[in-house]
Amino acid sequence: MPTIAIVILILFSAVLAGVVVARPAITASSSGKILAFGVLFFLPLFSLVAGMDNEMERSKSTAFCLSCHIMDSYGKSLHVDDPSYLAAAHFQNHRVPADEACYTCHTNYAMFGTFKAKLGGLRHLYVYYLKKMPLPQDIKLHEPFNNRECLHCHLGARSFERGATHNADPATLPAIKANTLSCVSSGCHDVVHNVGHWGDKVKFWDGGS
Amino acid sequence: MRSGDSMNRRLRISGILVIIGLLVEALCLVWSRPIAFVVLVGLGGALIGLGVLLFLYSLVSEPFQPASASDVAQDKH
Repeated sequence: MPTIAIVILILFSAVLAGVVVARPAITASSSGKILAFGVLFFLPLFSLVAGMDNEMERSKSTAFCLSCHIMDSYGKSLHVDDPSYLAAAHFQNHRVPADEACYTCHTNYAMFGTFKAKLGGLRHLYVYYLKKMPLPQDIKLHEPFNNRECLHCHLGARSFERGATHNADPATLPAIKANTLSCVSSGCHDVVHNVGHWGDKVKFWDGGS
Repeated sequence: MRSGDSMNRRLRISGILVIIGLLVEALCLVWSRPIAFVVLVGLGGALIGLGVLLFLYSLVSEPFQPASASDVAQDKH
């Protein structure tokens, strides 16, 4: 449901609740009781659920993640003009949805993955507002990046399954699939955001969304 | 009569809590900051939840009174 529709529903519910507050005696009649049940039980709970669902969806957006000042550098890293930068290459070539770029790679593709990702987001908020904020380049993942997140898209893809490097050693592909050989921290695709290590040579591509 | 007054008072408080909770929720939806979600659930959700619970309590705490003939006639209108 669009945000504006939910806001209108909320305001409509608030106005109707205002009628019950102003004239509670109307609940003496059956129609008044139905009105009170609607505006003091059904509509508020429906609005709350719709609002939470809307916020959950919005929290997946790239713009939402980058709305924290500390994430500026990570947003900028999506525009690095160098295909060896993993995040930039995925974002610029739309290997991930550009409007949900952060969430697509940093969610957990397991049961309750979205819920765990949101809990992680709450931890970010806690640090952002109540602790000393680290420098962008000092931000670390809560846990090592699991290959499962990469394989969610790449598993079965020709470029992955038949890639020369992936098949140079017969043990490589099974190790990647078993998550014993990390995609991003085994020296293969280890240039991801590289925030804080750009130097003067890094250029930025200003296209895309 | 006293019972009806306390029912009305509970309905009023319940309605006010729900209205404030709804307004908090509306503000959070137009406020595009990460903290908005926490405020929506923590404050808006709590106010709405309290309002709804108070409304339900006001229903169950009200002693049962059979509808009088005049109430039935009023409902028919």
